[in-house]
Amino acid sequence: MARASTTTDVFNAVGDAHRRAILDVLLAGEKSVGAIVGQVSMPQPHVSRHLRVLSEVGLVRCRAEGRHRLYRLAPDQLQPLQDWMSKYEQAINARLDRIEDYLTELQRQGDDSDT
Amino acid sequence: MTPDRHGSAIITFPNDLEVVITREFDAPIALVFDVLTKPEHVSTWGATPPDRMTECSIDLRVGGRYHSTFVTGDATVFSFHGTYLDVEPPVRTVQTWHFNCWPDVEAIEAMELRERDAVTTFTWSLTFDDQAGRDHMKGFDGRQDSLDEMEAILESLLTTRVGGVSES
Repeated sequence: MARASTTTDVFNAVGDAHRRAILDVLLAGEKSVGAIVGQVSMPQPHVSRHLRVLSEVGLVRCRAEGRHRLYRLAPDQLQPLQDWMSKYEQAINARLDRIEDYLTELQRQGDDSDT
Repeated sequence: MTPDRHGSAIITFPNDLEVVITREFDAPIALVFDVLTKPEHVSTWGATPPDRMTECSIDLRVGGRYHSTFVTGDATVFSFHGTYLDVEPPVRTVQTWHFNCWPDVEAIEAMELRERDAVTTFTWSLTFDDQAGRDHMKGFDGRQDSLDEMEAILESLLTTRVGGVSES
């Protein structure tokens, strides 16, 4: 399935471990770039670049306070990711449920498990 | 009556390269192991109509190979094959995992069983080979898009081994 570029696609935006680390830090609440840099082992320019990507897909929002820019999570934008996961969850569950039904059937028949 | 465990699979992504699925079954470990590893069983639950499992060979020993082929309702063919690296009935198999649609991707698939109080816990993991992952590093930001990779893997599980649960 083709994907749009990083800057328009929440999947690609969170496909990067560094950006996920930043999202994790923001879980605790709104933070400045400096505060984020202090909690992830990345230089500020990298953090800023990742924050820009996260902002562009709408996963984080930014507001200015004095000379600082403060970033916070916009978790509602994770919905597509959740929808995507739930589709696969259903499919994987269906497969495992089929194994369960088969096991139940075998046991009901008192089938010889070793053949 | 045993509890209804339908829909209870737990899916986790412990790191960028791995997906782990856990599910409990109300059956003894030896039976679960057989159902997961013997062709006569796997061919029974392996595909959901209209998909068909047209090939299911399993040589369950270290160095032995497995090969499974599915044909979907629209006649698309998917196949998986690999070699067993570890076989310890009834608790574990570890095998390489190749999917015909991604010839350059290699993963290690592991199945692990544990029985407790007549409930068998099945843990199934797929771990992408680092090198394959690196080879796939391209495109956005020069990084591997592991979620894309994960999506592709899951997509294959959806359309084939999971049994084409998509309705159309």
